Amino acid sequence: MDTTTLILATTFAPFAGFVIAILFLHRSPQLAQVVVTTSAAVALGGAVQLWLNGPAEPLRYLWFTSGAIDLYFGFLLDGLNLMFGVAVALITLCVIVYSIGYMADDPSKTRYFALLAFFEWAMLSFVYAVDLLQSFIFWELVGLASFFLIGFWYQKPSAAEAARKAFLMTRIGDVGLLIGVLLVMMTAGHFDIPGLLDPDVGLVTRLAPATLTAITLLIFVGIVGKSAQFPLHTWLPDAMEGPTPVSALLHSATMVAAGVFLMARLYPLFLAAETTRSVILVVATITALLAATMAMVDRDIKKVLAYSSISQLGFMLMALAAGSLFAGVFHLITHALFKALLFLCSGLFIHHFATNDLEQIGRSGGRGMRLTTIGLLIGGGALAGVPPLSGFFSKEEIFAALGHGGGSAFTIAAFAAAFLTAYYTFRMIFLVTVPDRIEPHTADDHHEGSAEPWTMALPVVVLSLGAALAGGWGDKIAAALGVEISHHSIGDMLPAIGVVAAGVVLAWLDFGRGDRAGFLTRIPALQSLFSNGWHIDEIYRAVFVRITGWVATLLHGMEVKGLDGGFDRFGVGILGAGSGSRRVQSGWVQFYGGCAVVVVGAIAFYVGMGG
Amino acid sequence: MDGLPLLTSILLCPVIGLGLIVLIPGGAARAVRWVSLLSALAATVMSIQLWRGYDAVTGGLQFVERLPWVEAVGISYHLGVDGFGTILVMLNSIVYLTGVLTMWDLTERVKGFFGFMLLLVVGVYGVFMAQDLFFFFFFYEVAVVPMYPLILIWGSGNRDYAAMKLMLFLLAGSALLFPALLAIYHSAGLGTFDMVLLSQHRFDTDVQIFLYPLIYLGFGVLAGMFPVHGWSPTGHVAAPSAVSMLHAGVLMKLGAFGILSVGIRLLPQGAAHWAPTFTVLAAIGIVYGAFVAIRQTDFKFVIGFSSVSHMGIVLLGLNLAALGQAGEDALNGAVFQMFAHGIMTALFFSTVGFIYDRAHSKTIADFGGLGAQMPRAVSIFIVAGLCGAGLPGLASFWAELLVFLAALKTYPLVGVVVIVGLVLTAVYILRVFRDAFFGEANPRWQSLVGLDMAGWQLLPRAILVGVLLFFGFFPRFLLDVIDSTTTSVLARFWMQ
Repeated sequence: MDTTTLILATTFAPFAGFVIAILFLHRSPQLAQVVVTTSAAVALGGAVQLWLNGPAEPLRYLWFTSGAIDLYFGFLLDGLNLMFGVAVALITLCVIVYSIGYMADDPSKTRYFALLAFFEWAMLSFVYAVDLLQSFIFWELVGLASFFLIGFWYQKPSAAEAARKAFLMTRIGDVGLLIGVLLVMMTAGHFDIPGLLDPDVGLVTRLAPATLTAITLLIFVGIVGKSAQFPLHTWLPDAMEGPTPVSALLHSATMVAAGVFLMARLYPLFLAAETTRSVILVVATITALLAATMAMVDRDIKKVLAYSSISQLGFMLMALAAGSLFAGVFHLITHALFKALLFLCSGLFIHHFATNDLEQIGRSGGRGMRLTTIGLLIGGGALAGVPPLSGFFSKEEIFAALGHGGGSAFTIAAFAAAFLTAYYTFRMIFLVTVPDRIEPHTADDHHEGSAEPWTMALPVVVLSLGAALAGGWGDKIAAALGVEISHHSIGDMLPAIGVVAAGVVLAWLDFGRGDRAGFLTRIPALQSLFSNGWHIDEIYRAVFVRITGWVATLLHGMEVKGLDGGFDRFGVGILGAGSGSRRVQSGWVQFYGGCAVVVVGAIAFYVGMGG
Repeated sequence: MDGLPLLTSILLCPVIGLGLIVLIPGGAARAVRWVSLLSALAATVMSIQLWRGYDAVTGGLQFVERLPWVEAVGISYHLGVDGFGTILVMLNSIVYLTGVLTMWDLTERVKGFFGFMLLLVVGVYGVFMAQDLFFFFFFYEVAVVPMYPLILIWGSGNRDYAAMKLMLFLLAGSALLFPALLAIYHSAGLGTFDMVLLSQHRFDTDVQIFLYPLIYLGFGVLAGMFPVHGWSPTGHVAAPSAVSMLHAGVLMKLGAFGILSVGIRLLPQGAAHWAPTFTVLAAIGIVYGAFVAIRQTDFKFVIGFSSVSHMGIVLLGLNLAALGQAGEDALNGAVFQMFAHGIMTALFFSTVGFIYDRAHSKTIADFGGLGAQMPRAVSIFIVAGLCGAGLPGLASFWAELLVFLAALKTYPLVGVVVIVGLVLTAVYILRVFRDAFFGEANPRWQSLVGLDMAGWQLLPRAILVGVLLFFGFFPRFLLDVIDSTTTSVLARFWMQ
């Protein structure tokens, strides 16, 4: 098949799946499931084939023209896009297959699967986009899909609120992004990504440094929203109100990945903007540390994972900001695999034990679910950075990158964050797998049906393999990005190994022997600060939400009492003046009278002017 | 209809429909409905023909018809459409057709209702086609006047107040317009009301500067311009569904179209002179409307104030067009927004009307979890809401994008402010979603479960959703037609 057919099949198969399911299959959810799974399989096949074929010329179709704008819809088929396209398609297919088991009893299955297909279509079209405005459009649609999936169980008020929050907070970021994108248009005169990045005629050579800084900073504002960075990170933990497979998708290869991917996509611009990268480095470091502290204390397995996503996204952005495209993208891909795996495992626990609570899962016999526990160990190990799992290698690259271009303070911060990561990850693992010393088994662990049906087990196996082995793909990824990498000796890796070991040991001391209280319980102030998310949400509620409310109330009052009310009083005055004749006039007569006066007056005016 | 020119044919559809309705006895509601529907269908088919037939490469005025009428003062029956007129005629047809379908279930004084509605439609078509100032103003009044009885008789809530307020505001607007139009006629000294001839005349700069604000304010009242928008939300709320649809969907566009084809086209220097002032007012209107919408408790008030905000984008675009730096994008965006907003509000009111007919409430707080009880109606409302929030894939996105780009180019600060306004739009739209549609189902509305949209009731809403999506994905089909005219309108600024 030629490239055009392949790319159209890859991106539009999920779209077709969405349209067919949402329009025609409301009464046959089983069929919807089949259609959507097939479409995702087609997309994966297409993405893999494209990747095997290697980079190709971009495809462009004129979308529309207005004034100076020529907008193209098209596909950019370079190493980065082709590689990430495969990751997106693979993880989405895993999630869809898993959902067949997870959502088996849900009454709105058709809507669910249709939305997943829509999500995949939007994300793939975003990834392959050749035009920056096209990226923005599908970036928004990815956000829209997230909104509907987070709020999938919309009858739960918490889910409805979480969806709203996700949409709003990412929207705030998108304002920055949109202004940035429009600035690109104004300065470059087009949106074509290869053209913008061209070393000879691209933005970097054409723009004054200050303009470039402004543009990249504005784009970064969008990334902050999408990739849940401080201070717009608070929507992501709430987003776990959606079904767990959705979280797996949202936290790995789609929604939050879009932000980091966009920075990687436009990397030459960021590389040339020193100031922007310094800002990003600071924000990302704060995020990585802050989110890690929150993950240390939460008892909800999905929230721990959500905070870890925020923190790991911070790691990726740190690497990119420090000057290493490779390290950032490497971690983006390994993280996508192990985070999807972890969420799917947590979903198995939640599905089986009907609780999100780590201690409850542990007490109910979490480790009895063999496959899931193995998946949890592999995914958790990769997250913590245990060698030789994938996360270790990608994180090691990040440390190296920071050592090169970040400065020692940031390197130390990264090690600290990695230490915390190892600690909270193994806290989670120990809480689930080590029997409680005081009350070992309370709940019955013999639930109806198989705990691990094959539809849910298979994706776990596939992703476990990926999470375990992806560490060895560094060379392939570097080749796809077209960068040279140097290999690290064991000696270089020692600090990273040491940090992880320290974190694991501390977690073992706290939780490894069946205890349920960590060292933080002895420091109540910190414990409360961390578990309240550093009170950031409360600050928002107290400041921004309230200010918006005030202004709205003020303007509303002005509208009712002042502006509009003023016209009313004026009108009443006029009517009052004519009250003598009002009794004999219905509104109708008055109205016609008014018209007549105007018309007669006009004619008189006209005649008088001598026409 | 062979032999009859296309524009007159379109105009005749509602006229003939109206004539037949007058002849049909009041009791024959069925016949009245079918006559209205058939006339709307015929008009829609011909409008699509017009849209496809308009030659976007040549641009300019097409489908011209001209019959001298009162030659002594230079009044002629002169119709013709440029790219703007073409798509707005199409907009009117779509809203007309879906409006008739939306009101299919009306039982109260059916004959009178459809009669007045068709009269309104005649007026709107006329304005979009007229190339003679006299007829322009005549049709304008024909469109505006039926609003009064339509709200007063078939409206709900505070309808006496709303109808009177609307009439006073609009008459005040006309009171500014009428002398201004006559002054245009006289100061040109050509002895003609022909707008094509007048647009070739170069008016004295002082005259332009004096007359333009009268035109802008006079038409601006109808366009829901801040700060003279007060009639519009009140009117929306009190009016029956189809009237709100026509009112917000088409009638408000008459105002903007008037500014464009009388103000900017005839008085370009006046427009350029006043553009900075009116740009600021338009930007305030965008943000102000959104803020006030956040605090509304009634569905229709939210939509009403969102219209003030969204029409602000049209007005902003028109003024930026007059300023020149990014004129083409600004004007393309403004006209695109006229169309997109027309369809979107029609969808809003059509759907809210449906919910209101079933539940007899349009207070947001009364609902909650309605999505479970009326999934189809709610889904359709959500599409309209997302269009309002400027989501890509729906027509409004392109309009907003073009206007925002022009704003950033011309006045960066204004650009940033209105783009930030997008967040406010999301705030009020999402609030409605959450409070009315999501959350636990309110047992009070359990009786509505079987009453969701079904069968033909889906038809008008499906048409509107389809149009929003179609132009959301294929903006070219609209933009090419618009752009052909934009260039020639903007050339007016260079000529002078």
